[in-house]
Amino acid sequence: MNINVAIKPGLRIRAFYLFFIIANIQTGTGIMGVSSYIYKEAKQDAWLSILIAGVFVHIIIFIMFIILNKYENTDIFGIQTDLFGKWISRILGTVFIIYLFASLLTVLINYIQVVQVFLFPLLSPWLLTILLLLIVSYSVLGGLRVAVGVSFIFFLLSIWLVLFLYKPITLMDLGHFKPLLEASPKELLLGAKATSYSFLGLEILFFIYPFIDNKKRAQLPTQLGIAMTTSLILLVTVTSIGFFGGERLEQTIWPVLILYKSIEYAVVERFDIIVVSQWMMVITPIMILLVWMITYGMKRLYSFSQKKTLYIVLFLLLIGGGTIKEQFTIQLIIDYVAKVGFWIAFIYPLVLFPLVLIKKKIEKKKEGYN
Amino acid sequence: MDKRTRAFQNSKKKGKLPLSIEQLKKSIKDQLHDEADLIFKKINVQNKNILVFYISYLIDKKRLDENLFTPLIYGDKDWTVEKLLAGLPLGESKEHQTVEDVCTKLISGSIGIYIESENKIVSYSILNNQQRPIEKPERESIVIGPQAAFSESIETNLNLVRSSVRSNDLVAEKFTIGSRLPTEVRLLYLKSLANDDDVQTMRQRLTDLKVDDIEDGSVLAQYVEDSSISVFPQFYLTERVDRFSYGISKGKVCVLADGSPEGIVAPTTFFGFFESTEDVYFRWNVATFFRMLRFIAMFISFILTPIYVAGVTFHYEVIPTNLLMTLGESRSKVPFPPVMEVLFLELIIELLREAGARLPTKVGQTIGIVGGIVLGQAAVEAGLTSNVLIIVIAMSALASFTAPSYLMGTAIRVIRYPLIIIAGLFGIIGVTFGLCLLIIHLLRMTSLGRPYFLPVYPFVYQDLDNALFRLPFGVSNKRSIAYRLKDDTRYKEKKSAKQKDIDDFGGYNEH
Repeated sequence: MNINVAIKPGLRIRAFYLFFIIANIQTGTGIMGVSSYIYKEAKQDAWLSILIAGVFVHIIIFIMFIILNKYENTDIFGIQTDLFGKWISRILGTVFIIYLFASLLTVLINYIQVVQVFLFPLLSPWLLTILLLLIVSYSVLGGLRVAVGVSFIFFLLSIWLVLFLYKPITLMDLGHFKPLLEASPKELLLGAKATSYSFLGLEILFFIYPFIDNKKRAQLPTQLGIAMTTSLILLVTVTSIGFFGGERLEQTIWPVLILYKSIEYAVVERFDIIVVSQWMMVITPIMILLVWMITYGMKRLYSFSQKKTLYIVLFLLLIGGGTIKEQFTIQLIIDYVAKVGFWIAFIYPLVLFPLVLIKKKIEKKKEGYN
Repeated sequence: MDKRTRAFQNSKKKGKLPLSIEQLKKSIKDQLHDEADLIFKKINVQNKNILVFYISYLIDKKRLDENLFTPLIYGDKDWTVEKLLAGLPLGESKEHQTVEDVCTKLISGSIGIYIESENKIVSYSILNNQQRPIEKPERESIVIGPQAAFSESIETNLNLVRSSVRSNDLVAEKFTIGSRLPTEVRLLYLKSLANDDDVQTMRQRLTDLKVDDIEDGSVLAQYVEDSSISVFPQFYLTERVDRFSYGISKGKVCVLADGSPEGIVAPTTFFGFFESTEDVYFRWNVATFFRMLRFIAMFISFILTPIYVAGVTFHYEVIPTNLLMTLGESRSKVPFPPVMEVLFLELIIELLREAGARLPTKVGQTIGIVGGIVLGQAAVEAGLTSNVLIIVIAMSALASFTAPSYLMGTAIRVIRYPLIIIAGLFGIIGVTFGLCLLIIHLLRMTSLGRPYFLPVYPFVYQDLDNALFRLPFGVSNKRSIAYRLKDDTRYKEKKSAKQKDIDDFGGYNEH
């Protein structure tokens, strides 16, 4: 496997799309339930936990860029091959892909459950899975440029949902935040860790980096994307804590959707139904990007045709989406993905970082001797 | 080998010049399958037999008499081929070595002249071109601005384009497409402006096109389009001369086909189909308002009825109580599910439109009245549909007619049906699903190899004006950047002088 990848100019994307890619892939499934998770750990100081987590993720992105910039034009598979050799890197890459598939599955089953709870309790999960997979396959077949386009346009088409949070914000009770700064540092850190599922997805940078046209300007949009995610999570969490208060928040699975339930207009009585259907535009880009990452990874690792991988992934997703129904199982899978994701997305770059630095130094010395 | 082909091949053998007058006559008759109006006129000037032949209904008889027979007979010269070419007061002349050559000219309105025992035939084109006069555009009408439409003759059309794009930069490359019934096709673009890749792509597609004939410019557009599966048109077809020349002046590649009043403008974006030339003639703020109105209309046109179906079938809770009561009251007599009801009414509207388009104008008006008042009122009274639905359907039908491009309007009306059906099956989730697929489809499409969804994706903010809205001419001095034209500046931006304070202005001119 080549360490560096050559990408044709027609397939490249401009750096500023990274903002939308990152903001999109992180915001979606996690944000629906994140506030109650953090609240369980850090109570009313949850907002501080989010800020800590945000800063941590910014640092990780910074490190990822240092790692990637050490090479000419590479992705995670190239870096792993360079560091660990062919076989170990294949194993690591396969683990990466399995993890991506698992997080893809959580996005799908979580949304199916939301639809069943809010819209159609009796709708067959098979049908909904087929609908979603149709969208995913149609855009993945169009290639990365279409996938990025979908995430860009769907982000613009669904960001207006945030504006409607103004209603629950006006209904907030600031008393719920008192007493301030009560949580211990350990609780705060645990709260920060609880956000990990919502911050997952930044590993796409390791995949998409070779496709970026103007790499020198890639860092800023990525960091802004992270800032966007952080502020969205912050907004949602603060609003939910202020709106629900502690006890009710802990019992709610999807606080964000319930927040929208409080909105009522002369033309639209139940706003949450529109939000749930609109949420399809929030989660499809995530699925599309993840499926693209899997197909691209398989091609890089095993030279397996992207189309074949796509059909296999779709088939497995169909079975997963159709059969996994119980809330308990779904929660279990999500917790598991969150745990594994924490290590893969946040800790793994920190491990790679010194290794890459050492390796590059040795190479330089060798060149010096020669 | 059957008789006719053998006869044809014999005639080919006989077609070698020089021939005697009688032999030539027979040879031409064979070639043209005994055309009844083929006229042969034998004249004798200074002991030379000259044969003039033509198809009588194709040529201008006045010019034949004045410019050919008069000088030929009264000139009383010793005619030779050279003298024929030089000495007749007619313009378009050609020499031919074989009879077949002459015959292809004869059927396009030429006369042939042959001096016995010479080895060349001379032909003059004096086509009596039957064409309608330049009329006002029928399908794309606008209120202000030039009012000329293309006609079926490519010569007239080229004339119109040349006179509105007065520049020697305008290239009009000629192609002949169709193996059985050849049609003249012209590729027009501004040499100093149009992107060479675009021109080359279009040229390639035209030369690669191997068909027996093309019926019309719209057919040609379908042959050279990027994707033939999509319902969306990928090239802008226009009958307006100003729209066509506007395309040329914006560096686009345009195509005209003989016998068709449709000009092809390529590449076009999805948003370009909602752009009318009237937007340019209006003031920028008004134009922006109307362009926005058209986008909203398009959205309403395909989203309103599906939303109605989804809401009334599955999500009553979204509908406010007051409206729900009215809806329930008017729907109480209707025995069908909302999908059937909507499809039924949509079908009526579509039938009315189709019937109105097919019928003569006078009867068409009656149909409008019958459809609008009688059917609508009667359908409600008979309990077939609800009052509210009539309004919803009328609104979405009306909205679909606001698209300046007729083809785009049709496409929008067609995609409404799958959306309605899927809304009836899956409710509002189905509508979002349909919208997602639609957007992805538009993202995947290309026009002449350029992204169809420009300038939104790939996002080019400099091109947003003129695509989504319009800015004053003083500000928007750039052509589309995404199309990579040879020159993207229309004129130098005026360097604004120092920022003036309130009372620094000159005030009124007071005399």
